[in-house]
Order: sequence, then C-alpha cells, then structure tokens
Amino acid sequence: MNAAYQFVTGPLAWAAWGIFLLGSAYRLISMYQLAKAKDPTAIAYMSWHFSLRSIINWLIPFNALGWRKSPAMTIATFAFHACLFLTPIFLVAHVLLWDQAFGVSYATIPDGAADIMTLVVIAACLYFAGRRLVQPEVRYITTPQDWLALIIVLAPFLTGFLAYHQAIDYDAMIILHVVAGEIMLAAIPFTRLSHMVFAVFTRAYMGSEFGGVRHARDW
Amino acid sequence: MKRTLPLLLSAALILAFAQAAMSQQDIKSLAPQAFGKLTRPAAQFNHEQHNEKAGLTDCVVCHHGGADGKIDKSASTEGTPCADCHKVKAEGKNTSLMNAYHKQCIGCHKAKGKGPLACGQCHKR
Ligand code: HEC
Ligand code: HEC
Ligand code: HEC
Ligand code: HEC
Repeated sequence: MNAAYQFVTGPLAWAAWGIFLLGSAYRLISMYQLAKAKDPTAIAYMSWHFSLRSIINWLIPFNALGWRKSPAMTIATFAFHACLFLTPIFLVAHVLLWDQAFGVSYATIPDGAADIMTLVVIAACLYFAGRRLVQPEVRYITTPQDWLALIIVLAPFLTGFLAYHQAIDYDAMIILHVVAGEIMLAAIPFTRLSHMVFAVFTRAYMGSEFGGVRHARDW
Repeated sequence: MKRTLPLLLSAALILAFAQAAMSQQDIKSLAPQAFGKLTRPAAQFNHEQHNEKAGLTDCVVCHHGGADGKIDKSASTEGTPCADCHKVKAEGKNTSLMNAYHKQCIGCHKAKGKGPLACGQCHKR
C-alpha cells in the first residue's frame, strides 16, 4: 500500500503534470504554426479588442444567443465548469498536500461545500451523457472521443467522492482517485478536453473575424 | 509526622505517574481541544499499541522540547500536549498544530515505509 501510494503521489504525479504542461505548450505552438501556414490573414486580423469582447460576452450566462437557445444546457455547463475548476483547486486535502510537498498554502473551501460541488459535477456529467443518448441532434454528432472525455472527467470526481466518504475499499479508492486525476491531467492536451487550452483562442479567432471582417457580433 | 510527609509525597508521585501511564495507555485516538470542533474524524492513534508495534521505546522521538522557535530534540516532554507549544494558527515560520502532527506522523511513516500516509487511513470514519 505505502509503496503504491508513494509511487502514484510521487513519480506518477510529476509525469502527469509534465505531460499536461509540456503537451499543452506543444499543442498550442503547433496549432499556431498550422494557422500561420494555412490562414495567415486570420492572424493578421486578430485584435485584442474584438477578442476580449467575444470572450467576455460568452462568459456571461444567458448573454450570448447560443446560451439562450438551450437554457438547461447553459445552467448545466456553467455549474459544471465552475465546480470542475474550483473544487480540486481549493479542496482542503489538495491544499494540504501542496503545503506538505512545497510549503505553499492558500484559501480553501469547506469540505461540506466541496462535497456538494462534487455532486454537481457528477450530476452534470450524467446530464451530458443523457443528452448524448436521447437528443437526436446531439446523438448524431457524438463520437467515441466525446464519451472518452466524459468518462475521463467523471472518474476523479466519482472516486474522490467515494474516497472522502470512505465507501467501499478506502485504500484502493484513494489510489484509484489519484490515478484518475492524473489520467485527466495528462489527457487534457490530447483529447476533446484540449478545449481547455484552445477555448480562449477559438473565441478570440471568432470574435476577431466577426468584429474586424464581418463587422458583426458573434454572441 | 516526620515519616508521613515523605510517604504522602511519594504516594502523590506514584499516583501522578500512574495517572500519566493510565491516560497514555488510554489514548485510542487524538482530538485535542485546541482545534475546537474537528472537521475530520479524529485520527486513530492507540498510544501503547502503536509504539509497541512500531518498536518505539525512546519517548523523545515524539515528545521533544524547545522554545522560541528552536526545537530541542534531547529534552523529553512526555505528558505535555503538543498544543502547549504548537498553536493552531502558527506565527511566522513556527509549525502549526496540524502541521506538527502531520509532519511527525506522516514523516516517520514515509521514512519507515510502514504506517498510514493517506488522509482516510488516519482519519477513519
Ligand atoms: C509516535 C509518537 C509517540 C511516542 C514514541 C510516544 N508518544 Fe506519548 N504521545 C504521543 C502523542 C501524539 C500524544 C498526544 C499528545 C497531544 O495530542 O497533545 C501523546 C501523549 C502522551 C501522554 C499524555 C497522555 C494524556 O492523556 O494527556 C503521556 C503521559 C505520554 N504520551 C507518554 C509517553 C511516554 C512515557 C513515551 C515513551 C515510552 C511516549 N509517550 C512515546 C506520541 C508519542
Ligand atoms: C515544549 C514545547 C514543545 C512540545 C510539547 C512539542 N513541540 Fe514540536 N516543536 C517545538 C519547537 C520550539 C519547535 C521548533 C519551531 C517550530 O517549528 O515551530 C518544534 C518543531 C516541531 C516540528 C517541526 C520539526 C521540523 O524538523 O521541521 C514538528 C513536526 C513538531 N514540532 C511536532 C510536535 C508534536 C507532534 C508534538 C506533540 C507530540 C510536539 N511537537 C510537542 C516545541 C514543542
Ligand atoms: C518514529 C516513527 C513514527 C511516528 C512518529 C509515528 N508513527 Fe505511526 N507507525 C509507525 C510504524 C513503523 C508503523 C507500522 C507498524 C507496523 O504495522 O509494523 C506505524 C503504524 C501506524 C498506524 C497503523 C497501526 C496499525 O495497527 O496498523 C497508525 C494508525 C499510525 N501509525 C498513526 C500514527 C499517528 C497518528 C502518528 C502521529 C501522532 C504516528 N503514527 C507517528 C511509526 C511512526
Ligand atoms: C498519519 C496520520 C495522518 C494522516 C495520514 C493525515 N492526518 Fe490529518 N491529522 C492527524 C492528527 C494526529 C491530527 C491531530 C488530531 C486530530 O485532529 O485528530 C490531524 C489533524 C488534521 C486536521 C485538523 C483537525 C480537524 O479535523 O479539523 C485536518 C483538517 C486534517 N488533519 C486533515 C487531513 C487531510 C486532508 C489529510 C490527507 C491529505 C490528513 N489529514 C492526513 C493525522 C493524520
């Protein structure tokens, strides 16, 4: 148990963070070079003003037309993404581990709130899955890649919830949880989860194109 | 009268030691008052059984002394609660009460390759 725990929280954690950071940098650089080769005018048209205008307007729930079209999905996706980021970053146990490893410590959310936020992520994942199964227009464009991304994100939250409540086998669950989190980190650059690194650039590109070329709003 | 005073004194001493020994044997888990209401289940720590199993005969390994930000690894302080010297909200570079427990307990378990490392192995529900 100790050897396994020390391996997944030691070398494996370094590897996961390394793949996540270097992989994301690699994907961004190669995407930039592809754009420079295939679509140089788009880069020339990139504008801070139109980029930020689009990003900010899409960040406000129900502000963009796209959000207003499907209110249930909008609520689910905003709640999902907020809890997805805030819970692991500000979880007491995670901050304690940063403190023990590197002596850095910062604000935390109470365990009770984190518990509810974890359930929000799990519920949203189930909602997204149901949508892909039931709604024909979504089902039609769903690929195995979409299911993979959903499972990779669900796993650390489900195992984290079970480990916190010490359900089933704690010793096995805590190792599964750590590995699931590491798989998620490492998968970000190379799966559909890469929208985490690309989303701002996608919006910036659309915003600049609509603002600078078509003289229209893209939200 | 000449004899009763030393007798009383030694009786008191024996009682004090016996009580210390009793209470130390009694420890099954740790929940110092200083934390107030605990946010986690109290950490499992059966004092006698733990130290026997781990082969710890030297009390000072855990019960060190010190003052003014300097640890004294030779002064034995068994019976003095950690919270007497380690505050819940530590000032400056001093070790906070929670870190004192975590560093001491987890530090040794890591070094020995034995004993709990993950939260739920000590904070058992
Ligand atoms: C593995 C670490 C460790 C070792 C070794 C150890 N203790 Fe302790 N002991 C503790 C902890 C932790 C407490 C609880 C102190 C607290 O929470 O403030 C404690 C508490 C005590 C108490 C106070 C009991 C009470 O109810 O207040 C006594 C007395 C004591 N220990 C005696 C000893 C003696 C004597 C030895 C050596 C034979 C010893 N200890 C070895 C960790 C240790
Ligand atoms: C008589 C006072 C005193 C008592 C009692 C005491 N400590 Fe300490 N301890 C100190 C001092 C002083 C330091 C050094 C300054 C600091 O780190 O806060 C220290 C340092 C530490 C450190 C950091 C050591 C390092 O190398 O970084 C740990 C861990 C620790 N104590 C744990 C404990 C635990 C657990 C207990 C109870 C079993 C305990 N202490 C009881 C005074 C005490
Ligand atoms: C100086 C070393 C040392 C320190 C300090 C220490 N431990 Fe341990 N602990 C061990 C060792 C070694 C074992 C494994 C014993 C075995 O199973 O052979 C162990 C085992 C345990 C176990 C499992 C007991 C069992 O019955 O399997 C618990 C729980 C535990 N320690 C809690 C604590 C807590 C809480 C503290 C801090 C207050 C602490 N330990 C401090 C060495 C240490
Ligand atoms: C080796 C045993 C051990 C491990 C592993 C351990 N702790 Fe503790 N922890 C303790 C002891 C001993 C105390 C002080 C006594 C108590 O609160 O039960 C403590 C205190 C705490 C406290 C402050 C008291 C409270 O309940 O509010 C928190 C919070 C805490 N631990 C969280 C964690 C988290 C999160 C982890 C995993 C990252 C963890 N601990 C791992 C032994 C351990």
